[in-house]
Amino acid sequence: MVQLTLPRNSQVTEGKVWDKPEGAKNVREFKIYRWNPDDGRNPRVDTYYVDMDDCGPMVLDALIKIKNEIDPTLTFRRSCREGICGSCAMNIDGTNTLACTRGMDEVKDATVKIYPLPHLPVVKDLVPDLTNFYAQHRSIEPWLQTVSPAPEKEWRQSHEDRTKLDGLYECILCACCSTSCPSYWWNGDRYLGPAILLQAYRWLIDSRDEATGERLDNLEDPFRLYRCHTIMNCAQVCPKGLNPAQAIAEIKKMMVERRV
Amino acid sequence: MSDMRTPLAKVRGLGSAKEGTEHFWRQRLSAVANVFLITFFVIFIIATQGASHAELTSALSNPVVAILMALTVASAVYHMKLGMQVIIEDYVHGEGLKYVTLIANTFFCALIGFGSVFAILKISFGG
Amino acid sequence: MSNADIKSNRPLSPHIQIFKPILTMVMSIVHRITGAALYFGTVLVAWWLIAAASGPAYFDFVNEIYGSFLGRLILFGFTWALVHHMLGGIRHFIWDMGYGFGPQAREWLVRANLAGSIVITILLWIIGYAVR
Repeated sequence: MVQLTLPRNSQVTEGKVWDKPEGAKNVREFKIYRWNPDDGRNPRVDTYYVDMDDCGPMVLDALIKIKNEIDPTLTFRRSCREGICGSCAMNIDGTNTLACTRGMDEVKDATVKIYPLPHLPVVKDLVPDLTNFYAQHRSIEPWLQTVSPAPEKEWRQSHEDRTKLDGLYECILCACCSTSCPSYWWNGDRYLGPAILLQAYRWLIDSRDEATGERLDNLEDPFRLYRCHTIMNCAQVCPKGLNPAQAIAEIKKMMVERRV
Repeated sequence: MSDMRTPLAKVRGLGSAKEGTEHFWRQRLSAVANVFLITFFVIFIIATQGASHAELTSALSNPVVAILMALTVASAVYHMKLGMQVIIEDYVHGEGLKYVTLIANTFFCALIGFGSVFAILKISFGG
Repeated sequence: MSNADIKSNRPLSPHIQIFKPILTMVMSIVHRITGAALYFGTVLVAWWLIAAASGPAYFDFVNEIYGSFLGRLILFGFTWALVHHMLGGIRHFIWDMGYGFGPQAREWLVRANLAGSIVITILLWIIGYAVR
């Protein structure tokens, strides 16, 4: 049976409460998931206090400030700090998003709660293991596939066909959507999940691609594709405002279209 | 036992079943049928609630009513068989239990379906 | 400790424990619960039909159970589950056709689903009592 609770080694315990910054007037509380692979203990939630008068506006700013000034062991991924690399995807205030584009004023709770992306193995603190996610991306062969001899210059595409890639090419593979999907939580080993299916659709409707049929063959599976039950969490959380649920619906329509 | 397969080998697994669209399609097809048939069923129930045995059996002896009732049962049972299959596939992962529950699902739906249709036919044929 | 051991010791990050419910997700769960309830609820329909086929005495016996307070309560729940699941099915059908994916549209669809199921259920019971 699917396990709805956390395994024993994953149950979260109360962690350390760090000192409040001295002399600060505008302090905000942060509760952050911690797990250290080297100390043999269960994950815990540490409490930090950050001086909001001396901090940038985004959740990532607070994380960097905590790492720089309070606790250098706090581990998280980040790179571009402008929502294009997808590294700082995590669960903030109960929803998956990018720490760099989520303003602290958008977090309604007084306390900012930060966890790693849901239902993934944790490497350390806020860093999840995305090996399976990347392997799934590899499995859909996300590159242009052609049989015709390569043209002299380029594979040509009309303006109309190019617009079909809008809302798809912007995906940064941050995994916010896939790890918000209950179906992906319970069947992530066999279900490809919203991010990968959106990527698959991006190649399915690329007018230059000549492997559409093979791509559909590889997706047509009760688990790979049809675990999508239009729960819509993916569309709700996507930090780029994309709609993986709609892309998946379009794939299902193609599946029906090619047999009737 | 440590699993030394590559991540891609795990993802590719046993390959695509090249199946699932038929299930998807039939679930929608039976759903569309149900919208009409269940509407009939609800009207029939409202019309015959509180009716005596004689009144009910006389209503069911009308061929049109009996045919629609039998169709309702068939479509609803087929739809729920497909639906429960998805629930089982979602949540039941142990190989043994999965097969047992999938088989039980089919048996249960067959029992409900044949039982109900038999009752309708018996009444309709004046049994 | 080998690399494989480190990987197998990794904890699973929290999921339903920390994820804030989203309306469409909750309604998806309700759609599934009502579906499962109807699945087992068909026993009541089959029992009723078989009772009618068995003769007046047994039919009256079953009718009495269904007509009791508890019986009516269960049948009311059955009606709501049926209506809710049917409207939910129409909602999913709209999505399967590729419509209604915008943020406002999806919110509207799930709210209409919930409100519609309650209103129609109550209406059906009012009609049911009125035509007796």
